[in-house]
Amino acid sequence: MINLGEVTIWLGLITIGISTACYWLVHSREDDTLALNVARYSFTGFAAFMTLASALLMFSILKHEFQYSYVANYSSRDLPLQYLISSFWAGQEGSFLLWVFLGAWLGIFLMHRSEEMEPQVMFLYNLNHLFLTILLIKQSPFKLLPSTPADGQGLNMLLQDPWMVIHPPVVFLGYAAFTIPFAYAIAALWRREYDHWIKPALPWTVFAFVSLGAGIIIGGYWSYKVLGWGGYWGWDPVENASLLPWLAGAALMHGMILQQSLGKLRKTNFILAAFSFLLIIYCTFLTRSGILADFSVHSFTDLGITGWLVFFMFFFVFITLWFFITRAREIPLSKKDAEFSYFSREFGFIGAMIILCLSAVITGLGTSAPLITRVLEKASKVSNEFYVDTNMPLALLMVLLLSFVPLLAWGKNSFSKLTRKLIWAAVGAVVSGVITLFSGYPGIAVLLLSVLAGAAVGVNLHLAIRLARKKITLSAGAVAHLGVGLMFVGIIFSSVYDSSEKVRLPQGNSHSTLGYELEFNGPEFYREPRGVRLDLPVGVKKGNTEFIARPDIRAEDSQYGQGRRFSRPHIRRGLVSDLYISPVDFEPEKEETVSAGKQLELKKQEKIQLQDYKITFVAFDVSGMMGQQNGQGVSVGADLVVSYKNGDPVKLKPVLTMGKEGNSAKPVRLPGPVEAYVSLVGIEASAGSIVLAYEGPAASQSTNTEKTPPAFIAEVSIKPGMTVLWLGTFLILVGGTIGVFRRWH
Amino acid sequence: MKKSYIVGGLVVALAMVMAMYSFKSTLTSYVTVSEAKASKRPVQVAGIVVTGTDRYDLERNNLIFVLREDGGDEMRVEYDGPRPGNFDNVTKVVAIGKYEPKMQVFMAKELLVKCPTKYEGRVQGQ
Repeated sequence: MINLGEVTIWLGLITIGISTACYWLVHSREDDTLALNVARYSFTGFAAFMTLASALLMFSILKHEFQYSYVANYSSRDLPLQYLISSFWAGQEGSFLLWVFLGAWLGIFLMHRSEEMEPQVMFLYNLNHLFLTILLIKQSPFKLLPSTPADGQGLNMLLQDPWMVIHPPVVFLGYAAFTIPFAYAIAALWRREYDHWIKPALPWTVFAFVSLGAGIIIGGYWSYKVLGWGGYWGWDPVENASLLPWLAGAALMHGMILQQSLGKLRKTNFILAAFSFLLIIYCTFLTRSGILADFSVHSFTDLGITGWLVFFMFFFVFITLWFFITRAREIPLSKKDAEFSYFSREFGFIGAMIILCLSAVITGLGTSAPLITRVLEKASKVSNEFYVDTNMPLALLMVLLLSFVPLLAWGKNSFSKLTRKLIWAAVGAVVSGVITLFSGYPGIAVLLLSVLAGAAVGVNLHLAIRLARKKITLSAGAVAHLGVGLMFVGIIFSSVYDSSEKVRLPQGNSHSTLGYELEFNGPEFYREPRGVRLDLPVGVKKGNTEFIARPDIRAEDSQYGQGRRFSRPHIRRGLVSDLYISPVDFEPEKEETVSAGKQLELKKQEKIQLQDYKITFVAFDVSGMMGQQNGQGVSVGADLVVSYKNGDPVKLKPVLTMGKEGNSAKPVRLPGPVEAYVSLVGIEASAGSIVLAYEGPAASQSTNTEKTPPAFIAEVSIKPGMTVLWLGTFLILVGGTIGVFRRWH
Repeated sequence: MKKSYIVGGLVVALAMVMAMYSFKSTLTSYVTVSEAKASKRPVQVAGIVVTGTDRYDLERNNLIFVLREDGGDEMRVEYDGPRPGNFDNVTKVVAIGKYEPKMQVFMAKELLVKCPTKYEGRVQGQ
């Protein structure tokens, strides 16, 4: 039987090939309408085939056609609809198809908007899709298994989250969109029109920036919400892979605005357009070639496309260099500008672009460390300190610029005019600085960052409101910059001032930590299609607020996968700070048979059932320590509360005396009619626990057990600034989206 | 304009020098257990968690386990951080940190947990 999916992809390859070739013809013979029509129709055909291939894969997943290796690997019968849909992009092959599919549809819009630049723009755009389609053939999602399994492997539990349904499409939309400014830039060099491309390419650049940015932010949000490690960014190669082109794209966006407004930076913008696109290919290479397999938490496997990706990369580097070098001398320089001022909007733009590019280059250097060091000696990676240490001064400069450059006009500015406007910067700086100092001195660099970020927030908030009143589209930059300022404030507070404590919560005992009263209500087991879910409800009390937090631990049955275990935190969001309760471990209820003369260990506040007695260890009594001076040895007592068969609790205090001749413990009679004694035979001061020895008759078989209640070990954290952080990132996207509309004429 | 090139160039050069310095000092290379024991710099070691050796020390807030590498060499690892979500039955862990000869334990600052098979399976050991 023919494999319809693979045939469709091959047809896609043929149509995109024809389209590419015909656009080449149109380039040399502009009046060739036949070639132009063939080029357009075959591109439309390519989009149709890619849509068909995607539909086929989607239907195979929805209809559980496990004869396809991809379907069997990433989906299963029990998945709900939304996660069946996201199985489509859960693996490498499917996500490549998604990339090509989105690229094909963006191409349809591009084809109709690129006007007289169409042949060159579409030729370059097609080249990229020609390569991607070849990769898709090399790693097809339609590979068949020798025999059809009854059920699939299912989707990784961590990915079963609504945010992970939309994260990949948004990221790949950004990836696909960054091809467009590149295609325009090279087409402009090709056509020797060095300014005209900016206007049509700018909205695409802003769109790509927003889309990739949204993808990055959704990824961070998912990481915070699902993974339970308490963070949102880990500098993992896969995260960096989308950050690098995004930073370069942000620099490009600013450069293009500068060129459109002042006619500067022509050469720089060609370089930046190529840089951001090449970074996408480079990062795809880094993350999908298996080269970082030992250095990332993602286990990448090489699907046999490494060679193609390397070729692909060098091919586009060559094209870029060829056009750039052959045209470099003709590109008009911006007029020798005597007016160039260090105190102007353009200087701020250039500064921001340098910072963004430096951050991309340095972060890229760190991400590539295994590759670089492999050539020299042993493959090594850099630790996260590298990224933080190097990006910190760049962040400082960035917020410094953001705190006054938005107020400047193009050209020369007078400082005296500015001072009045800087009042909002001062207000923001003071507010942020005071809050920071009030929370504890964090070191000079962080304090400075916080003050400057506050200034940036103050300036841009005021500016955004003022501009939005004039015309909403004018506020794009101010809103996005306000977002950047807020994001930095959020990053500072969440990383410097978070407090975290690990607590053991035995069922039924309340425990206070970080100002909260926590009580574990006992585990609740639920059967899930693929394993079990253990809900760990914890009553949380603080002042008048009271709620039940439900972190959980899920375990897959071992016949699926590897019996993996996943824990999911519970997050109580607040305007100022989040309460984050993440499961560390769960200790099930223990029952042990106790024989007479049995010794048992008790932690402070722990309650156990021993024979017919309930014993609670309340506290140490160290008043006997005073005995030290008169040479009688040291004695420590343990305050116990004991009740016999649910009778009234009685206080007991067995004492342990540690003298020169060794330790001696005096047994204390337990309450009730039975002749039984308990004595303190050991203390573990550092662990806060005691060892008791019991002497007495063993009770009837049925009660002859010692019970330890189930305990939940949790990491409880208070994370300030998270809401500000998410609000900031959201505003960056809002500002960007307004920007797309502003530039879209 | 000339002056601005110089200023810009200086900023870039300074940043790159700083980056290279930081790059060298934070570089951790992949080594074997015996090399890790001899190394004074932070390194990373890959291996499996010896079944049954992992426990959580609440007093010290550490995850403790014995790591065994391919060759069979073992060492005790203490990791100061949350237990990675899918720590049980992982195919491979990578511990990044430094060996403390006095305590005969590898103090891990980062722990990468590799999920079996899939590209996306990610769990942060941060």
